[in-house]
Amino acid sequence: MNAPRLSHSAALILKALSLGYSFGLDVMEVTGLPSGTVYPALRRLERDRLVESKWEPEEEAAAKQRPARRYYEVTRAGKAAALAATERYPLLARLVAEKR
Amino acid sequence: MRTETALPRFDRSLLRAAARIVPASERGEWRRTWQAELWHAHHRGRRGDGLDLSAGLVRDALWLRGDSWRRMFSGTPTLCLASLAGLCMVAMLFALAFAGSWRELSPHLAEQFRRFLVAAPLVVFVAFATGSRRYVESSTAGRKLLRIRRQMFFVVKTALALLLCFLLSADVCLPISLRFPNTAELLQIFFFVVLALVGLRWAFADQEQRCEQCLRSLALPARVGRPSHNLLEWNGTEQRCGQGHGLLSVPEMESSWRQRSQWVELEPAGV
Repeated sequence: MNAPRLSHSAALILKALSLGYSFGLDVMEVTGLPSGTVYPALRRLERDRLVESKWEPEEEAAAKQRPARRYYEVTRAGKAAALAATERYPLLARLVAEKR
Repeated sequence: MRTETALPRFDRSLLRAAARIVPASERGEWRRTWQAELWHAHHRGRRGDGLDLSAGLVRDALWLRGDSWRRMFSGTPTLCLASLAGLCMVAMLFALAFAGSWRELSPHLAEQFRRFLVAAPLVVFVAFATGSRRYVESSTAGRKLLRIRRQMFFVVKTALALLLCFLLSADVCLPISLRFPNTAELLQIFFFVVLALVGLRWAFADQEQRCEQCLRSLALPARVGRPSHNLLEWNGTEQRCGQGHGLLSVPEMESSWRQRSQWVELEPAGV
């Protein structure tokens, strides 16, 4: 199956997710993209099954006295798409640093 | 933990207002997501984060509404007819722009329309006589209501397609009609016939590619068999209704796999 062609911002978001940034705010921070781009793009990536979202366990969040957050994970198809996007946009890898 | 009450008043109001845009089935999840995101943005203490998230929140709600409409109307007969009617309106506006005023346009259009009423049945006859339409064996053949609905859709679609072709041909010829009226008339008939033949072919093809029950466009074409083994193997394409009503099997050649195209009903109609 061919990897879907992604826009530059979608590729950047997918790259950030594949490097371990899993929350919307973190993705915004590391990519420098505005929320109006990041959140709809996350929805599109989820609809295209390149990422999937899950909820943090309630107990974990309650222990830290904060609300549970929705986090995003790259699927197998998403990993292939991220790889294809890196080949298409070679500078992408340099734009996002790996999460420590 | 009461997240919403911990948010600033502006965010709470925005959240409530934008929640109205989100489809009801997704509203709870959306609200929970954004309450958490806003809470975290404010507790990071970064200036500007809250404001920027407000834009994201509204665009996310709009995206969900747009996507729900896309899912609801994508491939539906309503969308098809509305698109054709919309294109007719646009073509009419172009004609109005070329003519300058409705008073200038209406006598010209009325005269052309009389010719259209003569030419259109002839073009329809030729298109029916020469068009290579597939015969589809149908399991819904006995259901009168479905058949009538299907035919009514086809008639309205064809009428709108013909009207669009007429208006487009008028748009093309209007700029030259003042200086070369005879040439413009001939050209308009020529353009109308060509466009109408193409339009009718599209209408036939589109009708074949629709679900027999809900009239939505069929999707997910899957090839059956191997391309280089045409004669003795099963070869063809299967297309499915997105709503799960049925399956259209189209043989590559009408001698392999099936004699004819066949509509296989997966879920009986509720009519």
